[in-house]
Amino acid sequence: MLESEAADAASTPLDAPGAWGLAVPGGSATAMVLALLITALVVLDLRTLRALPSRRRAILAGLRVLSAVMVLLVAVQPTVRTDHLEEDEGRLAVLFDVSRSMSVRSGTSHRIDAVNELARRWAGSSVEHPPASYVFGSSLRASGLGEPLRASDDDTLLAAALDSVIDADPEIGAVVVVSDGADRGGAAIEAATSLGIRVHTVAVGADETLRDDGIAEASIDRVAFLRRPARVRVVVRRLGAAGGPIPVSLFDGERLVAEQIVEVPRDGTAEASFEVNLDRLGRALYSVSIPTPVGDAVPENDRRALLTRVVRDHLRVLHVAGQPSWDQRWLRGFLERDPTMDLISFFILRSTTDMVMADASELALIPFPTDELFNEHLGSFDVVFFQNFEYAPYAMEVYLPRIRDYVQRGGSFAMIGGPLSFSAAGYAETELQGVLPVEVLPRTTPASVATTSDRFRPEVASGMERHPLVMLGADPATSAAMWAGLSPLQGLNVVGRTRSDGSTLLVHPSHRAGSGEPLPVLSFSEPGRGRSLALMTDTTWRWGITTGGETGDASFYDRFYDRVLRWLARDEALEPVRVTTDREHYGPGARIEARGRLADARHAPLRGYDATLSIIDEQGHAVSGEVVVRPNEAGDFASALEAPTNDGGYRVRLHAVPTTAAPVGSDEILAEEPFVVESGGDELADPRARPDRLAELSEATSGMSIAAPEDAPALSVFDATRVRTLGSSTEHPLASAWSLVLLVALLGGEWILRRRWGIR
Amino acid sequence: MSSVPTTLLTLAVAVLIAAVMPQNAGALGEASRFDVRGLEYGGGNPHPRESAPRRLAWEIRKRTSVDSALEPTTTRLDDAALFDVPFLYWTGDAAFDAFSDAESTGLARFVAFGGFVLIDDASASGSSDFDASVRRELSRALPDHPLASTPNDHVLFRSFYLLDRPEGRVRGPDHVESITVGERLAVLYSRHDLGGALARDNLGNWEHSVVPDGETQRERAIRFAVNIVMYALCLDYKDDQVHAPFIMRRRGG
Repeated sequence: MLESEAADAASTPLDAPGAWGLAVPGGSATAMVLALLITALVVLDLRTLRALPSRRRAILAGLRVLSAVMVLLVAVQPTVRTDHLEEDEGRLAVLFDVSRSMSVRSGTSHRIDAVNELARRWAGSSVEHPPASYVFGSSLRASGLGEPLRASDDDTLLAAALDSVIDADPEIGAVVVVSDGADRGGAAIEAATSLGIRVHTVAVGADETLRDDGIAEASIDRVAFLRRPARVRVVVRRLGAAGGPIPVSLFDGERLVAEQIVEVPRDGTAEASFEVNLDRLGRALYSVSIPTPVGDAVPENDRRALLTRVVRDHLRVLHVAGQPSWDQRWLRGFLERDPTMDLISFFILRSTTDMVMADASELALIPFPTDELFNEHLGSFDVVFFQNFEYAPYAMEVYLPRIRDYVQRGGSFAMIGGPLSFSAAGYAETELQGVLPVEVLPRTTPASVATTSDRFRPEVASGMERHPLVMLGADPATSAAMWAGLSPLQGLNVVGRTRSDGSTLLVHPSHRAGSGEPLPVLSFSEPGRGRSLALMTDTTWRWGITTGGETGDASFYDRFYDRVLRWLARDEALEPVRVTTDREHYGPGARIEARGRLADARHAPLRGYDATLSIIDEQGHAVSGEVVVRPNEAGDFASALEAPTNDGGYRVRLHAVPTTAAPVGSDEILAEEPFVVESGGDELADPRARPDRLAELSEATSGMSIAAPEDAPALSVFDATRVRTLGSSTEHPLASAWSLVLLVALLGGEWILRRRWGIR
Repeated sequence: MSSVPTTLLTLAVAVLIAAVMPQNAGALGEASRFDVRGLEYGGGNPHPRESAPRRLAWEIRKRTSVDSALEPTTTRLDDAALFDVPFLYWTGDAAFDAFSDAESTGLARFVAFGGFVLIDDASASGSSDFDASVRRELSRALPDHPLASTPNDHVLFRSFYLLDRPEGRVRGPDHVESITVGERLAVLYSRHDLGGALARDNLGNWEHSVVPDGETQRERAIRFAVNIVMYALCLDYKDDQVHAPFIMRRRGG
């Protein structure tokens, strides 16, 4: 019985060696159990033959064993599977390694020089079927055989190159790889065997003796935390020279941060480690270097750049409230729910006029540690909330200038309204007024003027619809509907006007400020390097429970304050102007994909600006031409740049300059994103050639292994024969009547002889 | 307990400071004030201690910086205005009618959206009809949140005053029960007739005797009520690490 599977009728097999295999349908475990059972029966039966002469005993035992084997085979029905293969003449492809490790110099020439010479030799010889010619490194590209090759790729990915070759030309039967074997991707043998191609290899640099000091590994925590030390680890390797000390230097830009001397053995490694303190959010660029000795084979691996992204591990928030209230209760509940937040709260539970009717020892109250908070630790907070808080009863006027300075130096401050806030507290007459986005009314203003008590639904101020603090839906229209569906607030701290450096996001629907503008409800400004927010009400808690009771959805409160907190904490995703790069490390001249957003402070697309992208070095000098940026209607843009050809740390700079169409007083806008260019990088971290890997690859695929380019034969010598599977067939040799006849004959013969010889 | 001279001294200093401090701490609107809002319901007796909410509001204003509404309001669980005030004072001394579906849903949503419910069994007996009614309605509205005993080291007992146990008109059980939603107590159930200790007529006379410790127990009951309000407004603020050494020292720890 023969069941043919998927045979290719159109092919013409040159040869059909027919690989085959034996299988048992029920599985080997079943067969084993049966065999044991039958063996046991045979052994037991042999005991009945003891009385017979030895010749008869041997005949009967032999028949019994043959019968048992036959029973077993008929029972398990072994199958024979035969693969039908064909061999045909495939095409030959030549892959030249052009990764940067091929630029390593040995003696007076570079590895790539030997490759170019071999390519020219092959190009000059005539062959019946010209091979396909490619170069590979970080990717595979077609290349004319004999064209000058340059070692420029910043990676070596041989397995991916083999895959790409077969994708490009399925008729390829064999590949000749000309390389130093310093493959960084790995899995080339697995790729070649699964593709079923023969790989011949020509090793380059196999006989080199390198003299090189280099940085074998350099790493920094990929993500580091603000104001916490990040660890830098450097492994230094020495090749071809006696062991000795090597100084390792760590730089922040051009500034030497630290230096260590490590003792490196001959042909061995040693490790240095550093800690750096990171005090700015975003990408931070460092570099490490070692001296370049005379005769160093790879000077490029003596310096490495390190890039890390600095994030907050915990947001430190100071929440000060002048009295317990529902607004304070809801804000604490929100802040407390975030496990990544360090929350320091101080609530004034009793004022100096309250009569607690108890000794201090019977109270759970503690002194308000004003000096500790606002003198010693103010700078450690990312965000400070003053909620319905008056400063005067706690002699805090001496600390208000410090809070102003804290904001101007980069801190974030939010003042939330209430009967003790804004003009009631007298902030108009303090230094804090300078960093608030609104003009606070004087303290002498009558309460009937300084506050309102009506119910109202705040409206998004005109032109501010896209600001992230108020665009809480997917778009301005959705957000407006959300605002309109909220429970009304009640009561407002009246302010004089929005200050010139501030912007108002939410306004009262009908009341006007003294300046005539709609009465501000929520305003912000960015004084100095900091951020300031003013929310002139103490009933936003109604966006939680009250709105929840009316609509069934109490989540708006959390959504709003989440946005407030992220904006105050400078979440990058909420910045109106930003630029990012698709990678952090590039090789010289590589393509950089830059994306970003260009919007104004209201988060509306920026109009009336000429914007360009350029690349600057660590000293701020332009090292590239300018690329004009053309944002879409939402303000988003994407542009391509070319990485510099020299190693180092660089920044993509987004520069927007106001034109005459821009509003009067518009300023230039800058946003930057650091990146690194490395000609060394991981590709040159270990410059040694690896001919052993090439030999393993050719051996595993039945290819030729050539030890040096000058030993390489003509292309016609390389076997490009490929073997293809046409299909397979399965046979059950014992699934026939003859098997049963034979079994019956064996059993019958044994039975007859046993009867004749007197055994039952 | 404070001694009389200390109390008088405190009073004198407070009056002096009050005379020189600016008095502009009025609320922006009624919504800003703390309202000891009573719960109206069908059947039973929703107001066994009529003057207690007003007295509690007054004590809060007198003793703490909380700005309370001196004329507390009432609401029903099926009234949309339920969600205007996140505090609900649910008291009684007799069995009451089963809540309607709307009332039961209102209670569940009030708790889920952040509201705080203080239940006060004014009957102060071991097993009252009011108690049975309360448990029936809580298990119906909040089936996934059973009442549980609240330990006396809970922050509730140090949210303003340092207390050792719950107090009321009667000494009652040595613990209160509560329902926790997330990390907060959302429902607090006292069976000590807290309102009975607070109730005071317009002439300034206490309406009910406090047993067994008389006026010292009444003071402790008032303090416990103040603590409950402080917990509702400040949550576990007094569990913050910064308070720990002070509180331990005062507790003699």
